[in-house]
Amino acid sequence: MGFAPQRTPEPSDTSSFMADAAKNRSANEPGDDSSPNGSGSLEELRHLILAPEQEALERLHERIENPESRTEDVSGVVAEAIQRRRDQGGSDALSEALAPTIETALRESVRKDPATLADALFPVMGPAIRRSILETLRSFLDSFNQVLDQSLSLQGLKWRVEALRTGRSFTEVALLHSLVFRVEQVFLIHKRTGLPIGHAVAPAVAMQDPSLVSGMLSAIQDFVRDSFHTGQGQAVNRMNIGDLDVWVESGPYAILAAVIRGVAPRGLHDRMAETLEKIHAEYAVQLDQFDGDNAPFVNVNKELSRCLESKFREEKSRSARSYGYALAAAIVLLAVVGGWLGWRSYQYRRWNDLMATLGTQPGLTITSFARERGRFVIHGLRDPLSPDPMKFVNDAHLDPSQAEFHWGAYYALDDPLIQQRAIRAFAPPPGVSLSVNGGVLHVDGRPSSKWLNDLRSRAPLIPGIRALDFGHSTPEQVAFDEAKNRVQSTLVRFPLASSDLSSAERSNLREVLPSLRELLNAPALSRGAVIIVVVGHSDSTGAESVNQNLSQRRAERIVAQFIQLGIPAGSIQPKGVATAEPVRPEDSEENRQFNRSVTFRVLTSSASQP
Amino acid sequence: MIQKKICMLGSFAVGKTSLARRFVEGIFSDTYLTTVGVKIDKKVVQVNGTEINLVLWDLYGDDDFQKIRWSHFNGAAGYLLVADGTRRATLEKAEFLEERARKEIGPVPFIFLINKNDLAGEWEIDSENEAQLAEKNWTVFRTSAKTGEHVDEAFAQLARKIVG
Repeated sequence: MGFAPQRTPEPSDTSSFMADAAKNRSANEPGDDSSPNGSGSLEELRHLILAPEQEALERLHERIENPESRTEDVSGVVAEAIQRRRDQGGSDALSEALAPTIETALRESVRKDPATLADALFPVMGPAIRRSILETLRSFLDSFNQVLDQSLSLQGLKWRVEALRTGRSFTEVALLHSLVFRVEQVFLIHKRTGLPIGHAVAPAVAMQDPSLVSGMLSAIQDFVRDSFHTGQGQAVNRMNIGDLDVWVESGPYAILAAVIRGVAPRGLHDRMAETLEKIHAEYAVQLDQFDGDNAPFVNVNKELSRCLESKFREEKSRSARSYGYALAAAIVLLAVVGGWLGWRSYQYRRWNDLMATLGTQPGLTITSFARERGRFVIHGLRDPLSPDPMKFVNDAHLDPSQAEFHWGAYYALDDPLIQQRAIRAFAPPPGVSLSVNGGVLHVDGRPSSKWLNDLRSRAPLIPGIRALDFGHSTPEQVAFDEAKNRVQSTLVRFPLASSDLSSAERSNLREVLPSLRELLNAPALSRGAVIIVVVGHSDSTGAESVNQNLSQRRAERIVAQFIQLGIPAGSIQPKGVATAEPVRPEDSEENRQFNRSVTFRVLTSSASQP
Repeated sequence: MIQKKICMLGSFAVGKTSLARRFVEGIFSDTYLTTVGVKIDKKVVQVNGTEINLVLWDLYGDDDFQKIRWSHFNGAAGYLLVADGTRRATLEKAEFLEERARKEIGPVPFIFLINKNDLAGEWEIDSENEAQLAEKNWTVFRTSAKTGEHVDEAFAQLARKIVG
């Protein structure tokens, strides 16, 4: 500053001064001892008045003069004094005042015995180192996370292409694109020599030799100043190439240059200016006397590191990433939902087709079809004789477990089912078949009259049969034919050359009597009136005329017998044929006996003879 | 780490750039010389076991055809003054430059390099000239950028003179 501080007397100094004055006065005042009366009284008076104070002053003087007592006094208040100064807000000045002494003391302590300070620092060294490593790792991981976030995205693929094209690492490309700004390097350059005093560099930044870069930055400053005749104190504040900026803050002895990628905020200027001012304040002398030795500036890099600020596009990239994820999720969701709906629609269409198929099946009626709880629920009516619906499900290759049928029983009026129902009910005998057409049950073949009568009586009870068609095999016709057969197969035998009936033959006549009556009582239908012809036979023994007569009598005998039993005379007539129509060839006595007989012939009006 | 800024002065085509290109570490191209007027390289030498980082400012121009940017010279701890042994005029120019340098930054250590010693048969600078330089207490090295002769020694000697 160029001026000497004016010394203000301290309280101790004042005390010393007063004590000295008192001494001097007592020693120098003349005539005090030569005045035995007045002066003695005065001396006594003075002693009485001032003695206690003088003694106190003398004690104080001795105490102040004695270094041991003074040290003791200061030692008693030094801690409180430091405390009070700190409370008054003067800790910076206090620190500055104490720092050289403490540094010297530390240096001396290390020189004497390094182990003492090492032991003292041991508890804090480990945590400090761990914290430093942790901060470095965290910074690296932040960058690494950014890279990872982008590495698998579409943006990441573009950056990979860029990395291949430019020959840079993917990490570097990704970091550059993720940055809003980053202070990559900070140089503290000695203004006069252009030599680097300090240099701080951000992690993973490719750097050149700081001394060469510093020199060139300094040379460019000189070049611009020379070329454009600017003032000596002025400097290029900013250089820009692409997305790279170099910001320069200039001080009296040094310049601070920051290499920035991206767009840094204006506040960085303030940070740089503050840093440069602080360095100038702390190292003014060293900077002025700098001759290329960087040893005094070992702590400068720590200050420079505070300018290594960076900001990533975290929010933007996160929101963009979220948008990308949401878009991808939406596409996937749409694809899934679309696929699911398509599949569902396809399945529904297949089931719908199945319903149409089932609806055409006899005995199956679909009343409702719906998808419920992931299954297809089908309600309808089903005839017990209809085909199994599950067979159609399987034939359509649909999942049977998805089908849930609820059938109500009913009798279907479809011809095939009526036909099945009739066949089950009537069990047609061999040679007889049943068919249904339009609800009419057709009977084909020659069943018995009994079966036909049963059919006719029960058929109206079978659902769907509204009419019967027997064709030529009506029950009446069949019964007539059966009676006719019974009658025509009846043989009444007679003894040799006789027309008398044995009692056994009379029984035979009674057995055939119902059939005769059935024939004669049968409805006329298309065949007209029925005539029973009783044909008399004889064997070939004897004369033909005799045999003719005998056969005639035999026939008349039977006719008379039947008339007696109630057969109308007009419906039955005898006819002797002798040997003209033998029942059996007379090749044995047994067969000849069959020719001594009467047989019956049933004639209808169209076939009757006179 | 001790760093020292040193400069290299000399006439046109005396071989300054060849010396720099071949014997020092650099990252900048020669075009800087004609654009910014200087190219900065680095050479590390050992002096009494101490590593000295010499930051070499190769200054473009000779003040005849191309003006030297003397602002680049500020803060130099020493310099290499280079002449071409095959051209006597470069010696005279070197003497001029030395005088100018002294005016610019005061008396600082320097080494005088008479380059192209590989062409000794064609030299115009003779022993008489060298004797005159010796009388002026100039430290002189005959160097060859082509063979590397005495180049490292010259750098080391300059470093020693600077560090003292």
